[in-house]
Amino acid sequence: MGRAQVKEPGSNRSAARLRPGQWGMILALVTMSTALSIARPAFLTLPNLVNLIRQISINGILAVGVTSVLLTGGVDLSLGSLVALTGVIAASFAHPRQYPPAAPILMGVLAGAGCGAVNGWVITKGRVAPFVATLGMMTAARGLALVLSGGRPVSNLSSEFTWMGSGDVAGIPIPSLVFFCVALASHVFLNNLKVGRHIYAVGGNENAARASGIDVNAVRMLAYTTCASLAGLAGVLLASRITTGQPNAGVGYELDAIAAAVIGGTSLSGGVGGVGGTILGALLMGVIDNGLDLVNVSSYYQQIVKGAIIIGAVWMDRSRES
Amino acid sequence: MSAKTPGARTARWMGGALLAALVACLSCGRGAKEPGPKPIVIGVSVLNLSSEFVVMVKDAMDAKARGLGVQLIVNDAQRDAATQVRQAENFIAQKVDAIILNPCEFEASSPAVDEARAAGIPIVNVNSETRSVPTAFVGSRDEESGRIAMEYIARRLGGRGNVLMMQGFMGQAAQIERDRGAREILAKNPGLKLLADQTADWDRAKAMTLMEDWIQSYGPSIDAVFAHNDEMAIGAVIALEQAKRKDKVVVAGVDAIADGLQAVKQGRLDATVFQDAKGQGATAVEIAVKIVRKQPYAKETFIPFQLVTGKNVDRFQAH
Repeated sequence: MGRAQVKEPGSNRSAARLRPGQWGMILALVTMSTALSIARPAFLTLPNLVNLIRQISINGILAVGVTSVLLTGGVDLSLGSLVALTGVIAASFAHPRQYPPAAPILMGVLAGAGCGAVNGWVITKGRVAPFVATLGMMTAARGLALVLSGGRPVSNLSSEFTWMGSGDVAGIPIPSLVFFCVALASHVFLNNLKVGRHIYAVGGNENAARASGIDVNAVRMLAYTTCASLAGLAGVLLASRITTGQPNAGVGYELDAIAAAVIGGTSLSGGVGGVGGTILGALLMGVIDNGLDLVNVSSYYQQIVKGAIIIGAVWMDRSRES
Repeated sequence: MSAKTPGARTARWMGGALLAALVACLSCGRGAKEPGPKPIVIGVSVLNLSSEFVVMVKDAMDAKARGLGVQLIVNDAQRDAATQVRQAENFIAQKVDAIILNPCEFEASSPAVDEARAAGIPIVNVNSETRSVPTAFVGSRDEESGRIAMEYIARRLGGRGNVLMMQGFMGQAAQIERDRGAREILAKNPGLKLLADQTADWDRAKAMTLMEDWIQSYGPSIDAVFAHNDEMAIGAVIALEQAKRKDKVVVAGVDAIADGLQAVKQGRLDATVFQDAKGQGATAVEIAVKIVRKQPYAKETFIPFQLVTGKNVDRFQAH
């Protein structure tokens, strides 16, 4: 409570309540969904909605992770490669009857955390720009994934392991449950814990944060490590869902995650945004992908439509804000 | 400023360590040289060593080269034609005896072929073609694989039914030709209806998502799925299994990668089409050596595709 003065204006409400700026995105979401359910009655059915929440969960977990990093004013480009690396590592520990079922999950998340700690260390100790540091990690982690797997997918995984990606609890897919827990935990972390508020403070004004006694390097270290651990979790879930550890999986996932966060109102220059918006951003991107498949828009046009909707939604937000 | 000094020292120390590592790497690379009769050296530039199929081609080349006592220098173009052309130029500068090119792109990789031929170095294209004509070509006709897979689907459905097609990465030679081959067979079978076709970029995760969406759109009317590679076919199988529809839908892929063969053996994937990576890699090295030794060689070698189903899968798994 003594830290109330370091809060950035506007940021304290961002995740708890919708900022006026987020209405653009909600409008896009509602319009898309209405149009889709008229064009394809299959869209608004329970099985498709279950599909949808399963399909967004991996991007969602990455997007929630990268939100913290963006809030500190940084960026993490290594997420896609980390998904591949941690998926390969998890798969290597997931062959039937070799290790306990928890081992692949633990190893995947730990590998992610390790890479995130390296990112944080290079950025804070080496004072390398986050863009460059995580770009380096993006290349190196992809290489490591290829070395560890010998360029071949790691297959023959136990049914306990693959159950995570395909199973459900009371009709809710497990990846979606994990996404929900991750989002809830991050929301509480960012809004209700002192260290979470420090993340906003560092991104809002680093010098002011340092002057008010915040250990800026420790906060950034924490953000990168958490973000990469979540990439590890996403890697484990992806390997489980596609029943192999693929060294070339996850290409471009970091940009989808950043896009979801930015569509959801998190600022690329730090200090503004939150998990609530990011969830909506991931949902909007999922609805676009799912919807364009359902109405069978040609592969060539899908990417154009997707790009236009993303820009349109953010444009509407920004013009309302100003 | 006093805080800066230890940081700068660490940076210098790390730079030194990196340089030492680099020198060590370079010297191990050179360490293989021995005196004696000069062996034939072949420079190889492959499309992408993070693709399982290309790794199989490369392994077959290595094995053949060991058998023939020739030295290979293998470079990975990482899907980038500009990188590939640069690698070919380096091979020319090193005066290798021959070059084997596994082209990234039909047009953009062509300068590699032109420059090698202009320098008088024989060049063998393996697996895919370039616009420029190489000294020799070893590969398979990709549209044949599309034809074989779609013919299998037509047979299984008795010539009547609804088919979905998962495209490879749009615009790549393999996607264009597999698509063409499949459509030839569709045109010959008016009873087969193509419900939809979409790309899943050769990717298993994307294929799962696409199949889940298709199940929502077309549900019980889906009779068969043709995927341009095994990765996507397996993605489709997993999505169908989760929707408890696999027993009603025929799924066929192409490539016969290890996972694909395993899935055929388990009866999950109905069929795949075997593309002979080992045959392609080994034959390419063989022909390159023949050219260097001025022996007669075939200008074009086509390694045939073969249909793999539960009946003959054991033969391919042992392969």
